Amino acid sequence: MADELKFPTNGAKADRDSLDESLTALIRDAYTPEGGDAYWAGLEQRIMARVASQSTSNDTGWWSVLAPWARPALVAAAAIFAIAGVVNTQLTDSDEQLAYESAFPTPDVVSASEEIISVERGTDGATISYFLSH
Amino acid sequence: MRIPDEERPLAEAARAGDQTAFAGLVRLHQRRAYLVARAIVTVHEDAEDAVQEGFVRAWQAIERLDPNQGFGAWVNRIVANAALDITRRRKVRSTEELSDALQSPFRDPAQDAELKSRLAEALAQLPERARSVIVLHDVEGFTHMEIGEMLGIPGGTARSDLHHARQKLRKLLKDLRD
Repeated sequence: MADELKFPTNGAKADRDSLDESLTALIRDAYTPEGGDAYWAGLEQRIMARVASQSTSNDTGWWSVLAPWARPALVAAAAIFAIAGVVNTQLTDSDEQLAYESAFPTPDVVSASEEIISVERGTDGATISYFLSH
Repeated sequence: MRIPDEERPLAEAARAGDQTAFAGLVRLHQRRAYLVARAIVTVHEDAEDAVQEGFVRAWQAIERLDPNQGFGAWVNRIVANAALDITRRRKVRSTEELSDALQSPFRDPAQDAELKSRLAEALAQLPERARSVIVLHDVEGFTHMEIGEMLGIPGGTARSDLHHARQKLRKLLKDLRD
């Protein structure tokens, strides 16, 4: 074997360092499946069978009818979730307010002032009221 | 790389979902795709798996095909990736297996047995990437840049790997050449 230029197949740029033709032919031969055209026809069929099964599983499920609605449905679900969150927050706040008020009643401003007046009047006021009523 | 005349209408139709057109693309490119895979995985069964997987992936992503780029170059890269995935899954590939692959019934029995045996041994001794590069370039005629894209390495690295792989292969086969 001599260091010859490789045969210019497939548009490759031949160079002086290339393997010689007989060696590349030997490698090509070793890497070529037997069976000729029948093998390639069979391989094509196997590939297309897988392609068809992929297409079937992707396109004909009952869920495929709903596929165009997937994006709007996601947006609607997100909006509903957000609204539900706001409503829930508000309800929780009012429940907490009620619980607080039941535990710590808010002082009545009017009754408090009356209490102060009655304390200021003391027992003298009660005596005057007694004489006035009789 | 020149796009075959019959490819463009097939590619357009396949992009529109026409499986018959896609079958035409498979028919046009499966042989070269097989050799790309075989250069990487070396074993026939793995190469066929890679080709099938590559074409299925290509069909799934067909809308991303640029008709000006050419289906062949595109699918060869996908098939090469599928083949590399297989080699990653089956990292340990013994010399005996490669020799068996080259001495399988797929070869021409009329060829010189000793030469084939020595060639099998020599190729088996090359690093995996070097073997892929030498087959893809010197046997299949891909450019350094195309090989780099297929194997995920820079074109300059493919060129360097090729140089070293040729040197090593020649050294291993020296006594046969003399």
